[in-house]
Amino acid sequence: MSLLQLDQATIRFGGLVAVNQISFQIEEGQLFGLIGPNGAGKTTCFNMITGVYEPTSGRIHFAGKEITGTPQNKIAKLGISRTFQNIRLYGSLSVLENVVVGGFLRHKTGLASSLFYMPGAVRETEALKEEALRLLSIVNLQHVANVRSRDLAYGMQRRLEIARAMATRPKLLLLDEPAAGMNPQEKIELNGMVKKIRDEHGLTVLLIEHDMRFVMSLCERIVVLDHGEEIAQGPPEAIRNDPKVIAAYLGEAV
Amino acid sequence: MGSAASPGRFWLTRLVSAVLGIGGCFLIQTLSQHSLGDYQQRLVFLAALYVTLSVSLNLINGITGQFSIGHAAFYQIGAYSAGYFSKIYIHDQGHNPPALPWLIGVTIVGAGCAAIAGFVVGLPSLRLRGDYLAIVTLGFGEIVRITVQNTDALGGSYALQDIPKIHPVWLVWLLALICVAVSRNLVKTARGLTFLAVREDEIASQAMGVDVTRVKVTAFVLGAAFAGAAGSLFAHYEGSILPTNFTMDVSFIILTMVVLGGTGSITGSVISALFLFYLPEYLRGLKASDGQALTVSSTLIIGGLLSIGIVTGLVKKIMEDQRGTPQSRGLIYVGLVAAGVVFVPILNLVLSTIKPLAEKHIPTDQLRMVIFAVALIVIMLLRPQGLLGHHEFSWSMFGGSNRGKPEVAT
Repeated sequence: MSLLQLDQATIRFGGLVAVNQISFQIEEGQLFGLIGPNGAGKTTCFNMITGVYEPTSGRIHFAGKEITGTPQNKIAKLGISRTFQNIRLYGSLSVLENVVVGGFLRHKTGLASSLFYMPGAVRETEALKEEALRLLSIVNLQHVANVRSRDLAYGMQRRLEIARAMATRPKLLLLDEPAAGMNPQEKIELNGMVKKIRDEHGLTVLLIEHDMRFVMSLCERIVVLDHGEEIAQGPPEAIRNDPKVIAAYLGEAV
Repeated sequence: MGSAASPGRFWLTRLVSAVLGIGGCFLIQTLSQHSLGDYQQRLVFLAALYVTLSVSLNLINGITGQFSIGHAAFYQIGAYSAGYFSKIYIHDQGHNPPALPWLIGVTIVGAGCAAIAGFVVGLPSLRLRGDYLAIVTLGFGEIVRITVQNTDALGGSYALQDIPKIHPVWLVWLLALICVAVSRNLVKTARGLTFLAVREDEIASQAMGVDVTRVKVTAFVLGAAFAGAAGSLFAHYEGSILPTNFTMDVSFIILTMVVLGGTGSITGSVISALFLFYLPEYLRGLKASDGQALTVSSTLIIGGLLSIGIVTGLVKKIMEDQRGTPQSRGLIYVGLVAAGVVFVPILNLVLSTIKPLAEKHIPTDQLRMVIFAVALIVIMLLRPQGLLGHHEFSWSMFGGSNRGKPEVAT
């Protein structure tokens, strides 16, 4: 059984069809790429999977359960976590605190325990902090744990978003243009990091990316969208040579 | 990082801090009763009330980022519900319960009523953000006040009278202390971080599995409950309460306290609540010497504002500039103070030579609120993020490079 399954998923905003009858399946442990020109509906697709938008028609199944129309925070608890194209960190919180918030969905002690600073809440907070530090060392940010996240360099903020998403202990990690704005060196590091995360944590990764070299070298399977429609699907080599994909990116031959 | 201490030690620390807290509150009461007049004692009482109100609004506005400007409504609901119960039970039915337990009980009832109101107001906050929520809370505040004004059972515009007067100063200080402690505890645990996360970015918080709805409603309920408790103590202090005690002005002054202190900073809310409460009261003492009304007053205005500027500058330096040597920083402070001291008489001299100005007499009570307003403008210009910004008081502030952030071993 596949981990994520989209079934004829469609989203309409008024008269605009943003995503039209998209179907694909992601197997557990896969590195899956979602590419396409600007405005193809990739981020809308992410928003649909994470529950920001409910599909106008079609269904989404995650780990054997239908999640169409489930609220965002419940979907996060089921095990889908994401990063954002335009970075959405908690700017005035420290790097460490950002990651702690990501781990909060496993928090058990109640409100009263926090309000009275009971040992239970303190212990859980400490545990979350320790785990956050461990995650920060995976994305190589442990040395800036106490820096305000707003003050981080751009590439670091992208990595922090990944750490925060991982703190929810997802089964499926959605990365929305993780390499945007990174220099070649950082992209190589990111490539290795994503592979390492997949291998060591048994995660499945779905990523949107514009950098073809990055996608082709990282992903095992790719779906190409254009104008909200799926135009190709398959392993990187097949996508690279697909005439429809080339036409979508470079235009038709005259 | 220190792990959680053993249970025995935990309860011991808790007990000691509770005893110290209550003891401190009693000390404030004893000191104020022995050395202060009635008017001053009233100020000591009201100051703690405003600290509670400002810290509780900070919970909604500053920490959770829900722009609420109807805080006086929660204060009013607490005051009227508790006051009404006391009036009915003690005055109308002639019961005579022990004063202190009754007050504590009825205060909890008042807090509960306000908390329910907080829940109701919290619900629209799920759909509304920023300015729109502000308008709704503003409207709510007015609705509550006007409803009370038109309800005869609550005294209408003639005041709810005959509330038994019970006014232990220590209890209101204890309430302020509990409010501060609860806010601080919350922010120090992981749960509190989710409140801050909702303030910073709702969409990201939702995607991280934070139940944003619950966080917002919790903040409103907690904030309203503390305001309601403050209201109950106010009602039993005054003995009679009027709808005009809870006008929009009160909401705005509480909001100003939160913003001035630095939204989100508990320490800031406390300091600015005390400062903004005492400033207009202190300015009541303004008296012009014969025939020199304006010059004297203007000197005072400028002197006052300058000193405020210097204080804000000082805070700013301490908070932000850890670079320069202590000597150079010291020199800057000395220079600022000296400039202020020299500037005041010079300006006084210049102004007094202008005849029409020197002869014109302005009543000082009018000047009082002008100075108050100008002071606010000056502070906000000097430090738009509020006195303390997002910072909290911490001993490491005096220690050196680590600026009040928890240190973590890496």
